[in-house]
Amino acid sequence: MKHKSSFAIKSFGVIFMLGTVILLSGCAFKDIDKRLFVSAIGVDPAVNGEEGYKVTLKVALPFGAIKETTKPNFTYLSKEGESIGEIIRMLETHADKVLEFGQMKTIVIHEDLLTDHMKTFMDYFIRRGDIQFIAYVAGAKSSAEEILKVQPDTEAPASVSMFNFFGDTGTESPYITTTYLFQFRRDFFTEGLNAVLPLIETNKDQTELIVNKTIVVDKKKDPLTLDHVETKYYNTLFRGANGFSYKVKNGDKRLLLNISRVKMNYQIITKNNVPQAIDMDVKMVGVIGESDKTLSIAKLDEYNHFASKEVKKKILGLLNRMQEHQVDPFGFGLHYRATHLSHDHLAETWQQAYPDLKFNVNVEVKLQSTGTIQ
Amino acid sequence: MDETEKPAALLYINRLAKQLAPSADVVKKTLKRKDETVHLLFLKSVVDMMQLQEIVVKPFYEISTEYNFSEYIQSLPYETAMPTGDEEVLIEITKGNVFVMIGKEMTLLELKMVAANAVQEAKIEQTIHGPILGLSESLETNLNLMRQRYHQPSLIIETMQLEDCSNRAIALLYDKERVRPGLLENIKKRLQTLDVELVQASADLQYYINNKKRSLFPTSLLTERPDRIIHNMDAGKVIIMVDGSPNAIIAPIVFFDLMISMEDNYYSFWVVKSIQLLRYGGLFAAIFLPAIYIGVTSFTPDVLRTELALTVAASRIGVPYPSFAEVFFMLIFIELLTEASLRLPTMVSATATTVGGLILGTAAVDAALTSNIMVIVVSLVAISTFVIPISELSYAVRICRFLLLVYATLFGLAGVLLGLLGLILYLANKDSMGEPYLRMFWQSRREELKVEQK
Repeated sequence: MKHKSSFAIKSFGVIFMLGTVILLSGCAFKDIDKRLFVSAIGVDPAVNGEEGYKVTLKVALPFGAIKETTKPNFTYLSKEGESIGEIIRMLETHADKVLEFGQMKTIVIHEDLLTDHMKTFMDYFIRRGDIQFIAYVAGAKSSAEEILKVQPDTEAPASVSMFNFFGDTGTESPYITTTYLFQFRRDFFTEGLNAVLPLIETNKDQTELIVNKTIVVDKKKDPLTLDHVETKYYNTLFRGANGFSYKVKNGDKRLLLNISRVKMNYQIITKNNVPQAIDMDVKMVGVIGESDKTLSIAKLDEYNHFASKEVKKKILGLLNRMQEHQVDPFGFGLHYRATHLSHDHLAETWQQAYPDLKFNVNVEVKLQSTGTIQ
Repeated sequence: MDETEKPAALLYINRLAKQLAPSADVVKKTLKRKDETVHLLFLKSVVDMMQLQEIVVKPFYEISTEYNFSEYIQSLPYETAMPTGDEEVLIEITKGNVFVMIGKEMTLLELKMVAANAVQEAKIEQTIHGPILGLSESLETNLNLMRQRYHQPSLIIETMQLEDCSNRAIALLYDKERVRPGLLENIKKRLQTLDVELVQASADLQYYINNKKRSLFPTSLLTERPDRIIHNMDAGKVIIMVDGSPNAIIAPIVFFDLMISMEDNYYSFWVVKSIQLLRYGGLFAAIFLPAIYIGVTSFTPDVLRTELALTVAASRIGVPYPSFAEVFFMLIFIELLTEASLRLPTMVSATATTVGGLILGTAAVDAALTSNIMVIVVSLVAISTFVIPISELSYAVRICRFLLLVYATLFGLAGVLLGLLGLILYLANKDSMGEPYLRMFWQSRREELKVEQK
């Protein structure tokens, strides 16, 4: 009996001790209400001083009843400093809660920083474990801080509207380029390919975010901006974007073509392993979406012909402009490197040949109908 | 004749009667007719008086003198074997046997009256399309039920008497052509070596035949449904029934048997598969949801979508205690509620659940003692627990989730995985009567022999 009771006391003691241990909890334990969710980071050049950056964090604030809240709540933390890591460390002392980067999904970078020295600060985002590689990267016109501070009228509470632009999460448009952090870093360092970024702008009242341009980033040159038409062609041909529509003008006729399928193939023509030309075949299938004249289904061939000619002109314009600036967002160089036997001067051969390449573009537009009405 | 009889036989019956005394229900009767005398000894509380009158008393006075009454008694189908030793005879009498002594001939007639032999409605394992009635509390009725549903000469019923102080009869049922070899010996050995004070029902016998005294998961299954019993017997398992208990024990079982509802046999294939998927989802939710809540909200909120993270963070505003204290508090609260509504009569329990679940839940959120997301998690967990068809498993699951909660509190989501791993290791290490507990596909012996022949 005595033995039994001492066992009971012992086991009670053990349970009590374990119970107190539970109250201590793990070292990484931090309740969700003791965290601040950073939803976007903006990087601008420092205003004071030559070197350094100004980092702005867009912090999403939790709020009570979502149904009753009409406006999303954000707060902004800004600081200047020499390196991103240093600035973020300092920013941690500006807020009472832990800065949580796990939900950080957009990195917005000032246009002027999109040159060679972005290598140094992009490094921070890659090395930091809790920033996701699938975060979107975008350029910002005028300044990143300004873009972050835009609170669009369409933004719903408890959501960040900037995320919805990219990755076909919300809106889907061939005008919007999506670049992920992992993709951006990979493309940035790959030879024979230039990384591209979407450019985020805002309107005068700062009530809208506008994303319809693309920036081509080069390690040695200043960034080159593609306007919205070029962006559309780029995304349709090289990124497989849907929703391509095209306005054709032929004499007094104005047609809007809704293209449902686009297929693009190209081949690099070489002579003695030196690239000479690029043959590109583009096939488009679609319907007529809008017209100011009566249309006849019998004349579809005629419309096909106009459309092909016009589209070809635009594609050639885009290709030639890139060639002029000696940038290659399409990855022609990468394709050449990947399909030819490697030797020491492979990349150089391409670089020398690229400015003089001839583009042979063959566009075939196939209209299926004049829409649901004749 | 009286004088010669007295010393040996009458002395014996007097001795027996003395041992049963001073109980009020002991009846010692002597029937006399001319030169014939019959002594009866029985307990009137367990003997069917009408039967006794019809079978023994009436014929005794009606039978003509040419015929031997003793032979008549010997030929009755109610006779039970006469054991040796006073103690054993007395036990037989307490079971409802009538001790009949004619001259020197002693016979035991089974004329028992069982008050609780009504077949009960299956209440715990209800189905929509299956049989409505379950077992009764009388072993004879139950055996009758089994025979009625399984007309096979290979169905063997073996009865044993427990060596405890209640001396209950237990029965082993199996199909001798299908039962797994070795299993029967194993179970018999377990039953014979039982060293217990008192067995009241199948439930505590089930506990005693379990090899390990301290275990969490059941290693045999308790059921009240005849269709489940037949289903399992057909698969080569052994059924153990205890007299006076409306439940039967099925052994051995695998973990997945605990997730089967008999309803699964009565629906079409895809319906059953989706219901099973739902059930396993419920099992997962019942075990892991509270732990995942802690792991996600307090360690890795990156897992959540931004909107959800903000909502959860918002719902926790003003909650003074860390998330694990909140979860413990709410889980214990819901356990109390479940226990209370189980014990209460049906009419009151509805009120208890409403008061507890709705009013206290809302009040706790309003008082910022807990977050409303937590209330959702806890109610989901409570509901999921009831999806598990066998109640023993749902008890085990209710304890498991507290263990996982501790892991999650200490190590976050990694801890939850660690806990899951531990749980799987524990289950894999377990066996039920020598059968691996996590065995995936149970087949009957015949099917297994078929596989071997191929």
